[in-house]
Amino acid sequence: MGDILRTHSACFSFWSATCILLAGGIACSIFFLPSFVIAEGLIRSGGSTTVLPVVSKAAAHYNRSHPGVRVTVSGGGSGVGIQGVGSGLLDIGLASREMTEAEKKKFRERGLQVHVIGRDAVACVVSSEIYEAGVTALTRQQIRAIYEGRIRNWQEVGGPNRQIVVIDKERHRGTRHVFMDYVFGDPSAHAAGVRLVTGSNNEEQAKIAQSHSAIGMLSFAWMNQEVRGLGLIEGERIIQPTQGNVDNGSYPIVRNLNLLLPAKAAPEAQGFLAFMLSENGQSIVEDLHYVPVRQSEGSHLAGEVPGIQ
Amino acid sequence: MRFLFDPEVNWKHPFVLLTGLTAVIASGSVVLLFLFLIVQSLPIFSAMGLEFFSGSDWIPGESYSVWPLVYGSITVTGLALVWVLPLALGSALYTSEYLPPRWRSVVKATMELLAGVPGILFGLLGVSFLAVWVQDVFGLIDGNTLLTASFLLAGMVLPTIMTLAEDALRAVPFEYREIARALGLTSSEITFGVVLPQALPGVVGAVLLGLGRAMGETVAVMLVIGGLDRLPNPWFDVTQPGQSIPSKLGREAAEALGSGLHWNALIASGLVLFLMVMVISLVGTRLLNKGNKMSREDCCGVGGGNEPSVKILVGKN
Repeated sequence: MGDILRTHSACFSFWSATCILLAGGIACSIFFLPSFVIAEGLIRSGGSTTVLPVVSKAAAHYNRSHPGVRVTVSGGGSGVGIQGVGSGLLDIGLASREMTEAEKKKFRERGLQVHVIGRDAVACVVSSEIYEAGVTALTRQQIRAIYEGRIRNWQEVGGPNRQIVVIDKERHRGTRHVFMDYVFGDPSAHAAGVRLVTGSNNEEQAKIAQSHSAIGMLSFAWMNQEVRGLGLIEGERIIQPTQGNVDNGSYPIVRNLNLLLPAKAAPEAQGFLAFMLSENGQSIVEDLHYVPVRQSEGSHLAGEVPGIQ
Repeated sequence: MRFLFDPEVNWKHPFVLLTGLTAVIASGSVVLLFLFLIVQSLPIFSAMGLEFFSGSDWIPGESYSVWPLVYGSITVTGLALVWVLPLALGSALYTSEYLPPRWRSVVKATMELLAGVPGILFGLLGVSFLAVWVQDVFGLIDGNTLLTASFLLAGMVLPTIMTLAEDALRAVPFEYREIARALGLTSSEITFGVVLPQALPGVVGAVLLGLGRAMGETVAVMLVIGGLDRLPNPWFDVTQPGQSIPSKLGREAAEALGSGLHWNALIASGLVLFLMVMVISLVGTRLLNKGNKMSREDCCGVGGGNEPSVKILVGKN
């Protein structure tokens, strides 16, 4: 190396200068890129994969009608959404559950505001083979026993003689919080009978559809022909997982779809929230089979959505 | 100072200074990463002590144990090695010793291309075909298991191991083969009695580098391993789901960021992974270099042409 440099330094200096300029240019552009984009009105949102379909559709509409503002959406789960907006990585956090006490405490300084943009129900779902074999409804105790590993075969709840593939979700997922809250009375309950742990709704839906004997939890919007929702047996009644039962308030596993904004949110982020709550925004919520909030009168702020106890 | 600064180099030349600076940055980043991992994982070691390695539960907010994850990582990569070794070594031997040169370059090019295929593509294949296939063939209730992940990893590291092992075999000087043939040895005797023993350090190095890649693979494993942070019961039953360290980090990192012990526990798992991969890669690189150098010293540069491809593959890890 030394020899080369001493004898050919002149011809090297041109190339070295070019290389360095190029590398420097790339480094600078990587460094400054985010700030330029932010200056153009970039709104970063992300979190719950339950809220995600709504927000990404709304974002597409909003981006088209508001040149100069760009809303981006990413997944990860409610925990990621709350964490992201709390730490400033996101401008809008998506969460399909309420903040836990620990999270409230941790992000107190950011003054996170929880805005409800819709409601969603979580169904206990099974593979279509199981549903067609006759398991169409379960009691809360049966679901609990399955998740605890006390019931391991579908036969014990009136199904075929086949082992149960119990599918859980990552612990921070909003869907898991509300589902476990209903089944165990504890949002972060430990389920010992679990066979698989999945992340997004998409992943869980795929795994349940692939299996012939799976049980899991999914929001209504993700049910289809291969992934069927079970009725919930409460006393004498069987509450079917239907939109009607959510609207009339009898379906028990319901949660709010939340957008989280910091107290000092950028005007662009507030603009997007306003769009979400407008008639156009709410029609998107309805299109995706969630329950819009504007139907119900009163405040859209967290906690108090009429019809939910 | 001589060992640090070569007196014959012109230190005033800007190019020398700049490349020197970049070298410091490059090597410093590794040191920084290592320090970051250690500092960030200290809290979990002081909170959990050795139980971090011996416990059996990972429940955020309560207890953290890296043991099921280490077990998953080692099982999955170990099994992958068992599946991939005969295939990779067999094809490396055939390509290096028996295949006509024109076809050899085609095979090599294909393998090197395959070695660069992103993990997520393997993951998609795994989740859509392999998991279902494992479920049917082994009669399991579900196909997302340690075994599935090991099959997937075997497929992923096959090209890496095959092409590096082939380089090592190729680096054995041709004179050896010619002399052996002149002595009347048959092809198979030459291959197994002369070439393979000579190339062995390099071949072992290739295997270890492949292993390093397998151990760090995140997303493909994440999709098929089952995601359960628990030891199988009984412990050797690999048709049960498990969890590997990278897959765990991939699933929980975004949520745990800045949330105290949970985050520290993930970083500490990363440190454990880093150490495992580092040892494997160091030993692998050393053996690979030793093997190639040894062969090259007593030949006249016959195998030297292979070196760039070795470097490229090493760099990927």
